[in-house]
Amino acid sequence: MAIITISRGSYSKGKEVAESVAERLGYECISREVLLDASRRFNIPEMKLIRAIHDAPSILDRFQHSKQAYIAYIRSALIGRVKSDNVVYHGLAGHILLQSVPHVLKVRITASLEDRIAAEMARESITETEARSLIQKDDQERRRWTKSLYGVDPWDSSLYDLVIRIDKLTVADAVDFICRAAGRPGFKTTDALRHRMEDLDIACRVKASLVDQFFDVAVTSEYGNVIVYTKLPERHIQKLKKKAKDLKGEIEGINNLEVHAGLPYPPDSV
Amino acid sequence: MEPLTTEMILVMAMIGVAVFLFIAEWIRVDVVAILMMVTLPLLHLVSPKEAFIGLSSNAVVSIIAVIIIGAGLDKTGLINRLVNPVVRVAGKSEKRVIIAISLTVAVISSFMQNIGAAALFLPAIQRVSKMLKIPLSNLLMPIGFSAILGGTITLVGCSPLILLNDLLEPFGLEPFGLFDVTPIGLALVGSGIACFVFLGRFILPKAAKGAEETDAQASETGSFPVLQEVFELHTPEDFTDYRDPVSVGDLRRRYLVNVVALTEPPDFKVLSPGQEVQVRSDIDLVVFGPEENVRRMAEGEGMLLKDRIETFKEDIEDSASGIVEAVLAPRSALTGKTLNQVNLQERYNVTPLAIYRHQETYRAEIGDMVLEPGDTILLYGSWRNLLVLQKERTLLFATPEDIELMRPEKAMFAGFWLTVALVMIMVFKIQLSVSLMTGALGMIISRVLSIDEAYESVDWRTIFLLGGLIPLGIATEKTGTAAWIAHAVLYQIGSVSPIVLLTVIGILSTIFTLVISNVGATVLLVPLVVNMAIAAHADPRMAALVVGLATSNSFMLPTHQVNALYMGPGRYRSVDFMKAGLLISVIFIVVMITMIYLIYGV
Repeated sequence: MAIITISRGSYSKGKEVAESVAERLGYECISREVLLDASRRFNIPEMKLIRAIHDAPSILDRFQHSKQAYIAYIRSALIGRVKSDNVVYHGLAGHILLQSVPHVLKVRITASLEDRIAAEMARESITETEARSLIQKDDQERRRWTKSLYGVDPWDSSLYDLVIRIDKLTVADAVDFICRAAGRPGFKTTDALRHRMEDLDIACRVKASLVDQFFDVAVTSEYGNVIVYTKLPERHIQKLKKKAKDLKGEIEGINNLEVHAGLPYPPDSV
Repeated sequence: MEPLTTEMILVMAMIGVAVFLFIAEWIRVDVVAILMMVTLPLLHLVSPKEAFIGLSSNAVVSIIAVIIIGAGLDKTGLINRLVNPVVRVAGKSEKRVIIAISLTVAVISSFMQNIGAAALFLPAIQRVSKMLKIPLSNLLMPIGFSAILGGTITLVGCSPLILLNDLLEPFGLEPFGLFDVTPIGLALVGSGIACFVFLGRFILPKAAKGAEETDAQASETGSFPVLQEVFELHTPEDFTDYRDPVSVGDLRRRYLVNVVALTEPPDFKVLSPGQEVQVRSDIDLVVFGPEENVRRMAEGEGMLLKDRIETFKEDIEDSASGIVEAVLAPRSALTGKTLNQVNLQERYNVTPLAIYRHQETYRAEIGDMVLEPGDTILLYGSWRNLLVLQKERTLLFATPEDIELMRPEKAMFAGFWLTVALVMIMVFKIQLSVSLMTGALGMIISRVLSIDEAYESVDWRTIFLLGGLIPLGIATEKTGTAAWIAHAVLYQIGSVSPIVLLTVIGILSTIFTLVISNVGATVLLVPLVVNMAIAAHADPRMAALVVGLATSNSFMLPTHQVNALYMGPGRYRSVDFMKAGLLISVIFIVVMITMIYLIYGV
């Protein structure tokens, strides 16, 4: 009864670890499925979603805000997947997208740079210099992405419950650690947490439905009481209110929906 | 037959003008009455003194006193204690509420002045209407008519019947007993109520939208479409076992339900608890919120939803606490602050329930909203605490306009003075106005209500409507118009069977009572009809009885005191009275004649 996210750099054996953990615990192991869900649900080509979650926002994105929209879609799809519990997610940005969920076991798998270079050289049959520059570029891209969107550094170990470096520790060791950690009481899903996941799901759906027209909104939900926060001035929010009102009938589980303008976004909003 | 004089024609013209203006409503009915008061002396139909004699008449003074007594009884919650069980029996169905209150009022009206019963119940009916969301206009007319009909249940129920025996004396006829009219009266009340229950939706005016905008109480629910209801719940003994503690704020955020009172073990009562107060096991709590949300909370948190308020009955009562709309004034010190910063709960012990801004109702996380001028805050609290807040003048209270502090502790005094007034009337036979004014004075002296409150409670529309119609009655009698009409009608019908004669007398009395007062009509008609009946070989007592009863058949125009009293609050128009009154009047005559035929075998 837990949700495990495994964050990894490329060629860090994270996928292997995730699959073994899922197999050992009998959990579902998901990664790309989330993107497929999002792509299907919101009718966005998968490639665009991958780029949204992989590359740092370009100057253009800052004007278009499409990246925020895509991330809202992915997040909504991810929450929809993991809210039923017993899931290992090793796709991109899991630790960020599920940051506000307290009972998620967040794991980071790293490997020594030399090993990763060797793995990449073997897979892509390229020179060591090329491989090194590719991996470093990739790492840097991710770093910029999380920093620009969420203001955190993926290499900051305080984001994780567990950081395991596959070098002296083997994949099997890592799986052991993770499985044991997953059984700790802190990661158990309680009634209150289940409610919270439902609410997060509702909030993410609401946000995903609004974000293409109103990129700068924050949504909270508690027991189905949804509040949409916006910084738009009062006179400009009629359209938002109308749209939000319509959602009440469309998204299941909403008991009450209000639009609050001009307030700071609460930290737990999506 | 006497010739028709100019004066008679003038009086009939004035009656015609009055009736026309009542119907056309170019000016309000009470203004029509004042118009009569002024025009009649100008036309030399009454003396200037007689023109205003109505304002000092026994009836008008009695009504002023009764309204004050009623206000006193209402302020102490006495009438509520009587009405509450009645309403509880009736449940929430509109028809049953009408039946229950109408019967109660009819019974009370059978041994006291109709107008008294009607005035005493008015505030309570208004409250019931608000509580059960039944339009006031659907309640007042049936109840008012029942009060009038109830006057026919005993011989002391209304002035014409009280007079009747005195009028029979000169003819050496046997007087009626106290309960001789009871079967007829009961049949009349029964048929009247039945008529409203079965045909109410055809004859009662539709609750117009106009009623809402003028009625301050209605606008309160109008601007807050999400209705807040009050419920009491109980937490089970294992409520806090194996789970995170639940606070008042949690319940608010999760279910948008406001806890306004809860008990703390062993037996403390906390009113308007702060958001951080924890909900413990085995306690009672009172919440405000939409029923749907409260039910969801009871289910979600495993609480027991009670059928009615039990533990906090006295604290939650309308007389002790309530909801007000408070508007943030321009330049209010609260502008730019949030409710969390202002902390009304801690400082004033009142609970904000919702904020209304730009046509939108906010219920979730209102504590974080930055207040702007013009925001309306829905506040719940005890009247005492709300009054303290009102005096600060940071918030302008929109409804109710004046917070009334109820004085339940004065209930004994109010009851005592009512009894004194009733004893003076019934036992010592002191004049109605004097007895009632004594009661009213007693209430003021014993501080049931202040003299200013007494003045404010009097509805001047009613006073001038009645006061203005009295000179019209005087003119009709003095100029001989009434006698002329009576003679003309009786002359026209010639000699007929007793039943037809009684029916005609009934119709005649009905018409007379609509224009001149019921007492006037009785005084005028009884001697006439007794003579007529003797001449026609019919029972003169029955003819007199028909007059005594049919002078209560005053439903078609708002000229009867009770109708005049209920016209304002019910927002009725003269047409409404005509529509419903015509039917009730016809039924009245049919039932009355049938009952007289069945009982006395005329």
